[in-house]
Order: sequence, then C-alpha cells, then structure tokens
Amino acid sequence: MWSKRKEDELPQRQDRPAPAFSPSAPAAEPQRREINTMSSPSRTFDPEPSRSVGSATLGKNVTVKGQIFAREDLTIDGEVEGTVECHEHRLTIGPNARVQAGLKAREIIIQGSIQGNVDAVDKIDIKKEAKLVGDIKTSRIVIEDGAYFKGSIDISKASAAKPAQTAPSTSSATSSQSSQSSQGTATPVSAGTPAGTAVSR
Amino acid sequence: MKFGAFQKPSAKETPPGLTRHSSGFDQFCATLRNSENLSILDMSGASQANISFITGFGHRISSDDIIGTMEQCFGEDFFESQQAASTSQRFLEQALTFPDAFFDGVLAWDALQFLTSPVLEDIVAQLLRVIRPGGLILTFFNADDKAKRIPVYNYRVHDSKTLLAVPRGGYQRAQYFNNRSIEKLFEQAASLKFFLTRDHLREVIVRR
Repeated sequence: MWSKRKEDELPQRQDRPAPAFSPSAPAAEPQRREINTMSSPSRTFDPEPSRSVGSATLGKNVTVKGQIFAREDLTIDGEVEGTVECHEHRLTIGPNARVQAGLKAREIIIQGSIQGNVDAVDKIDIKKEAKLVGDIKTSRIVIEDGAYFKGSIDISKASAAKPAQTAPSTSSATSSQSSQSSQGTATPVSAGTPAGTAVSR
Repeated sequence: MKFGAFQKPSAKETPPGLTRHSSGFDQFCATLRNSENLSILDMSGASQANISFITGFGHRISSDDIIGTMEQCFGEDFFESQQAASTSQRFLEQALTFPDAFFDGVLAWDALQFLTSPVLEDIVAQLLRVIRPGGLILTFFNADDKAKRIPVYNYRVHDSKTLLAVPRGGYQRAQYFNNRSIEKLFEQAASLKFFLTRDHLREVIVRR
C-alpha cells in the first residue's frame, strides 16, 4: 500500500520540468512566479503592464505633508505638500490631486494641479485638464491642447546618453565614476543614473 | 453685450484653424537656427507643436498664457477692468514674472493689441525687461482699420514659415495700431521691422 502510493506520486513529480533543473531550482523559482502572475487572467486585463511590478495610490481624501519616496509606481489623487520621488517608476497625478511639491520620477502623467518643479527622466505626459505651474526637465514631453502650463521646459539629453552608458568602452572613466557614486552627485548625473539601473534590470 | 466683452467662438463661425504664412516668424526662426541654447518665451499657452519645434533646435522654451491671464484678471468688463487700479495691478503681478534678461526671444503673438494704456506700456516695459539685449520679440497687430471685432488666436507652429491660428474668441476693437503707434510703443527698443501680410496682420520683429 505505502510503496504503491509512493510510486504513484513519483511519476507525477517527474512530469514537472523542475527536477531536470533541480540544482538551480531555488534561484529559478522567483522567475517562474513572475511568469505565472503575468499569465494569470487577472493580470492580462491590466492595460498598464508596469503595474504588475506594484503600485500605490494616495486617494483623493488623503493629505500628505512631507517627503514621499516610492519604490513602485505611485498614483496621487489627494493633496501633497513637500517632495515626491519615485525614481525608476511611474508617477501619476490624478484629476483630483492638488500637489505643491517637487516631483521626480522616471515617467510622470499629470491630470491634476501641480505647483512645483517636475523632473522626469523618461517622459512627461500632461493631459488637457492638467494645471502645472513650475519648471519641467525631461527627455520627452507630450502636452495636450487645453492644458494650463506656466514655466519652462528643459529637454535633457538623458535618453541620448543611455546608449553611451550601456556601451562598455565609451567614456570609461567618467561613466564608471558617475554610476558608482549615483546618489551623491549633482542633478544632471542623478537624472542619468536611473536609466543605467533600468538597463541592469 | 458690453463694449470689449469677450466673445467665445461659436462652432459656426470658427473653423478648426487657419494656416497662414508668416514672414515675421520666418525671420525669428533664422535666429533659432543660427544660435544654440536659447531661452524662448511663448505667450500663447502651452502647445505640443510649439514645444516640439523650439526644443527641436535644442533651445529651452517657457510658456506663459498672457491672454488667459488677461481673461482671468479682467473678466467680462475686459477694457473697463484694465482701467481699474486693483485689477490692472493684479494682472501685472501675474504676467511676465520672470527675472531680468531671462529670454533670448519672445513670441508675444497678438496679445499686446488687447491691452490698453497704461497697462499696455507697463507690459511692454516688462517684455523689454525680461529679454536680453539683442533679443527678439515677435508680435502681431491687426491691420484692418475697419474691423470692429478683433479675433483672438492661439498660434501653433506648423513649420518655420507657416503658423496654424486656432481661434479662441474675439474682442471689440479698443484701439488701432499703425506703424507709428507701434514705433512709439517700442521706442526703447533697438530696432523694429514690419511685415504687412495679405490677411490684414501687421507682423513686427522688435530687437531689444
């Protein structure tokens, strides 16, 4: 009885591909989990793929005064006063949001009201209902007709610098220094560093 | 309707946009092409076309919708409110709040013709303050002396010689600007260059 049961179980386990890769099984597990979540029915309907990494939301009845650091995508639909930083991630300012803060992110989508400087490494998308008073620094900008904007736009060359950073032999001394001391350097360098870390991922 | 009241465009009378040739803008673009890292002020509100065009040259663009600020400050009694000290002061505090000699060029478009004295002179003084010596201002004035109503446009750059004028309403004429009155208005400037167009628009390049 007992031996039969064990025999019955064994073929089932062998059907799985995991034993074939048993030495590296613990390392491969997280990858499999990610693939499973991506292919699960609840995720396939998600229009924004980056949300599968994780996202946080500050609702419209939430007020925050101070500094916000996010390591995942962040949506703000309430009131914020201070600074908001989500390097390497997307920041969405919802239609009900009233933000008096400096914003830094990889990508910023604006639908609400902002008073403060906005720094997006990759892209800024300003919707028609948005109101932005402050200076913008970004690589790309999309602004819909009807959006209120008062301030200056500085198109940085961070995206143009990406290929140079990924290439192994180009500008070796300066690029290696800047990537090693990513957080202690001036703003233009830190604007370029998230692009470097994104490549490593 | 009161004199000078703002008239919003109706769907009947306003086409989606008029494409027009602009010699003045072409002249302005010559400076954009031949220089690097300029700072340009666009006074027609933010638009993707203008931002892409200016930043495409590698320049920095700033946006300040001065007509929007006028509408906000002066409201329905548009020209009467300009004479009131409180509202005109509020307007001057909000418009062109930039440091001295901050810009190399200003696209003022047709905004100035909707201001009356003394606010007009104050704004021109502000314009000359925020622009660097040698910098250019491109501004338009309606040249049709018989027109009673002056249309207001948002100007979108199509290319270096062509603009798309998107209607955003109109005002009854408060005053007529001829070459002499414009020269007097910019008497502090180094030089002025006029371009009279077929569609009754006087384009002016002002060099500080």
